[in-house]
Amino acid sequence: MDPREFEAFLFHEARLLDDRRFRDWMELFTEDGSYWIPAVPEQESPFDQASLFYDDRELMKTRIARLQHPRIHVQTPPSRTAHLIANIVIESPPLAGACRALRDICLERGDAGASLADREAVEGEPPEYLVSSTVIMVEYRNDKQRIFAGRQQHRLRREGGSFKIVRKRVDLINCDSAFEAIAVPI
Amino acid sequence: MLDRSSSSIAALIQPGRVHRRVYTDPDIFELEMERIFGRAWLFAGHSSQLAKPGDYITTELARQPVIMIRHSDGAIHVLFNRCAHRGAKIAPLRSGHAPRLTCCYHGWTYDSDGTLLNVPVPEGCARSFDTRDFALTPVPRVGIYRGFVFASLAKTGLSFEDHIGPMKANIDDLVDRAPDGELALDAGRHRYVFEGNWKLQVENVLDSYHVPFSHASTVNEKGEQFARREGDRHGAAVVDADKSRTAAPWKQRRSYITGNGHGWTSNTQLDDAKRSSPAFDEYRRVLAEKLGAERAQQILTPRLHNSLIYPNASIMGLNIHVRVINPVAVDRTEVTVFPVRLVGAPPAMNFGNIRLLNVTHSAASFVQTDDLESFVRVQNGLRSQAADWVDISRGLGEEEPDRELNATRELATHEMVVRAQYRAWLDYMQQAA
Repeated sequence: MDPREFEAFLFHEARLLDDRRFRDWMELFTEDGSYWIPAVPEQESPFDQASLFYDDRELMKTRIARLQHPRIHVQTPPSRTAHLIANIVIESPPLAGACRALRDICLERGDAGASLADREAVEGEPPEYLVSSTVIMVEYRNDKQRIFAGRQQHRLRREGGSFKIVRKRVDLINCDSAFEAIAVPI
Repeated sequence: MLDRSSSSIAALIQPGRVHRRVYTDPDIFELEMERIFGRAWLFAGHSSQLAKPGDYITTELARQPVIMIRHSDGAIHVLFNRCAHRGAKIAPLRSGHAPRLTCCYHGWTYDSDGTLLNVPVPEGCARSFDTRDFALTPVPRVGIYRGFVFASLAKTGLSFEDHIGPMKANIDDLVDRAPDGELALDAGRHRYVFEGNWKLQVENVLDSYHVPFSHASTVNEKGEQFARREGDRHGAAVVDADKSRTAAPWKQRRSYITGNGHGWTSNTQLDDAKRSSPAFDEYRRVLAEKLGAERAQQILTPRLHNSLIYPNASIMGLNIHVRVINPVAVDRTEVTVFPVRLVGAPPAMNFGNIRLLNVTHSAASFVQTDDLESFVRVQNGLRSQAADWVDISRGLGEEEPDRELNATRELATHEMVVRAQYRAWLDYMQQAA
């Protein structure tokens, strides 16, 4: 396991977002992948609490179709972003913590997120890794610049020579503040 | 300087138009805080936010910090969040649990009904000092309907019953959807802010005219919006398939007013017969089991899209939530959107509602973000001195009574609701203290 592989993957993801290649970015996710930005620190679950983002592939598709729509007013003019990814820590294997807890919540409640239960790595399946990093995204739009910063966690599945994102969670340090419109993923 | 006389304020509002100053003039904003937000019944919170004695939330009413807290006897108190001694905010958090409230500055300690219990070094108090004179000041009037807590900063004025009464059916419409007949605002909150006047948001919640244009980016090639309810395959048809015109079903919807600035819009036309998903089907089953099939069907037949409880709250029937509008400055407004949990509904149904609210009304949503862009652009555009008037004349003179609903109605793409808001605005604004 070469840590530079994870680094290269995260840099690649950041680059796709900065280049506004949102469809390619979405393709980094597995079919059952999800993208989560909690609305409070240490939020336990996206299922019983509001979140800034909690997109499965279906919602991601709608979000990205909208980002590419000619009449998305909140992106006229579009945002420009610069992501900085640092302090990368490979936290697994083995898988533990947040993902397992999330699966248990789904199972217990039998709710719509239960498909997550299928994601627990089992023998013979491609290995999965939890990678956490610090993200800073500077966004500029319409003469205004603002900063998003926080810790993000990727659950990555080995696929071919690279990875797929099973789950991405971004914990912004100001996740519970009042935001002006946020149009682009972080 | 603003001329505060009744006649000069009245001159700002004319039939079918309002002066741009009502959105841009800081003096008018100050007068609004005094005469509208300083008097009206404002949504302060929901009883479910205070599950047990000592639980509190903090908020602002007319920019003033208040605390809503449940006392040991179960009663809900709305108090100014200000120590009676030197004025420090007593409760610093947005929510918490504190059976006793202690000031961080000199340690004065209050009971959860605001009574001053003790002060450190009491032997230093003035001879005339009496703790009974130094309770936390209560907000003058509080009224509660089915858990919705409203407060008025004025000792006198329209009664709670007279103000909220006509909107009770709209609150019922939401609360009745819970199989246990009870809501819980315990699913977090969305918070967004925009550089625009508070009325831009208030006017927008009942504005059906803007949807095909403002929200063009949420509409697919068939002219339908994305699915916004659990169990739907797609959303409402808002534009014709050729995208040149507002869709006929959207144009047929109506809006209603009922005095005091309140109003609502009728349901979004969706294919309710085909609404189905494991979560929704289970919810329908639970509802029918508790209330009978007929009543369940009634509840599941949507009547409302959005309701406005003037001046600071709205309730949405489509993507269920309670929204609170907090003016900060003439050109800055903060909004809080509370998802509602339907008590007794299957968790999967509540999750479906919460999940879809993320993409309709969060700061990062598909819908609200384009509204925010419009609000900011209006605030910017109104700096222009080329024209003084903002037009709200659509459907002027076409209002008609709806005797069954005891309301006045018009097509939802008209602007009757905005004119009604300005009638209420004027009523408040013309009354000197």
